[in-house]
Amino acid sequence: MLGSVLLKSLRDLRRSFAWWTVGLAGLVALMLAVYPTVRDNPDLNRLVEEYPDALKAFIAFGGAVDYVSGAGYLGSELFSLMVPLLFLVCAVGNGAGAIAGEEERGTLDLLLSNPVSRRRVAFEKVGAMALELGGLGAVLWGALWAGAAIVGMDVSAAHLAAATVSAVLLALAFGAIAFMVGAATGHRALAIGLATAAAVAAYLVNGLAALVAALEVPQKASPFYHYAVGDPLRHGLALDHTLFLVAIAVVAAVVGVLAFERRDVAA
Amino acid sequence: MSAPIVQAEQLTKHYHGDRGVHALSFEVGWGEVFGYLGPNGAGKTTTIRLLLDLIRPSSGRARVFGLDPSSDGAEVRRRVGYLPGDLRLYDRLTGREQLRYFASLRRLDGLGDGESLAARFDLDLDRRIRALSRGNRQKVGLVQAFMHRPDLLVLDEPTSGLDPLVQQEFYDLVAETTRDGRTVFLSSHVLPEVQRIADRVAVIREGTLELVESVEVLRARAFTRFEVSFAAAPPAGAFAGIPAVRELERRNATVLFALEGAADPLVKALARFEVLAIDVHEADLEDLVLGLYRGETPHAG
Repeated sequence: MLGSVLLKSLRDLRRSFAWWTVGLAGLVALMLAVYPTVRDNPDLNRLVEEYPDALKAFIAFGGAVDYVSGAGYLGSELFSLMVPLLFLVCAVGNGAGAIAGEEERGTLDLLLSNPVSRRRVAFEKVGAMALELGGLGAVLWGALWAGAAIVGMDVSAAHLAAATVSAVLLALAFGAIAFMVGAATGHRALAIGLATAAAVAAYLVNGLAALVAALEVPQKASPFYHYAVGDPLRHGLALDHTLFLVAIAVVAAVVGVLAFERRDVAA
Repeated sequence: MSAPIVQAEQLTKHYHGDRGVHALSFEVGWGEVFGYLGPNGAGKTTTIRLLLDLIRPSSGRARVFGLDPSSDGAEVRRRVGYLPGDLRLYDRLTGREQLRYFASLRRLDGLGDGESLAARFDLDLDRRIRALSRGNRQKVGLVQAFMHRPDLLVLDEPTSGLDPLVQQEFYDLVAETTRDGRTVFLSSHVLPEVQRIADRVAVIREGTLELVESVEVLRARAFTRFEVSFAAAPPAGAFAGIPAVRELERRNATVLFALEGAADPLVKALARFEVLAIDVHEADLEDLVLGLYRGETPHAG
């Protein structure tokens, strides 16, 4: 695990990955364990139908809000907030620390004295972040698939995969933004702060657009909109929305790498 | 092999305030030990980080092996071994793991010379770096700098934290390195160290090079100090205009002279007064360089 910057970076992430795996699997197990009870409780579903639209906008995942169908339940309980939140925390921390973490710890000087270009170091660090998120996606998908089979949920493996991929790409977009700020400035806390602020703003704009007409245009720029609007748990991935998320991740990563190549490394 | 290994031309790096380095010009030749001497904060580390492309010059340029560190960085660094002044290693790795990581980035077979160097420095590679003393970490830093037999070693305060026996081992290693025709660029704020192992010395103060000279020439230039006690204080200016002599200090009837050449004119001048005692202090580069640190020029007087 020490053969390249990519492998070393993955090695550094392995302990946190183990804990994320435990946490995600536990969350999925808990949510799916209560699903049969919720599904068979007509009062709860009637209550949900009477929620105000504003609340529905925040607890929905693309499509209609219901706690009966598997897609509706998983969308509201996991994919509307919990899954993106957890993935974002992981991605932003990881992306912010990719360059700025080693720089603040002072190990970047020695790493860059090796015959590897800054570009390669930076892209391999981003690659490690993407692979860790992909790994978490696989864990989430596996847990959902197994759990859905056990409790008899009517969601296909392909649709579970679509929602998971969408969540991974959403996190990757903000992780890349955190990477960009960290690589450009060398300040990890700043990178975490800006990326988190961007994510919170994007989340609120997307949710509040159902109430505030003026937000309908800015909403289209929110990654959260593109993450959910295609209703991946019912309709799979839509190419345009997926590409929007990928484009943000790629552009942010490339900008970060270019800025890192051009600046002075902090002593 | 006449092309310089390291070449700086008007190399300048500005920072906020007065820090940074200004218009540095020097060359380091093949197979020499180049001592880069200056007080802490003078710009030694800045110069070194410019050579390694960790920071970019504001103006002027640096060449290493005739290449531009910015555009041909990987090729330059393939042939350079670097020990940072503020050495930080991966605390969670063992020494061997740290070396293996860098060895694979350098595409070495195994650890290169890493194992034998570690044995030579009596360094246990299987302990976690977090658990190592400062001296042992410094050894890991030295081993990673030397393990790929680089053509140029850039060492920033290499002996800090090393005990005297290990320092001696390091001096031997430097001597062997230059015997192979390889080059060592070594920064230090410790003059005796530079005096001992360097062929040439550059002195940097407040970001400006004060002098670049061979140690031999410097030694010849360094002055001897004569401390002369008179029966009565000689009149002021009594020793002005004597060749190669300058008055450094007066305390009552005791005068401290600096002598940069033959002693005869001073002795003849002293003969006019009643002299109680003469104390002669050995010629020392330290006086010369400390004089530079204080802003005196070496030829004053």
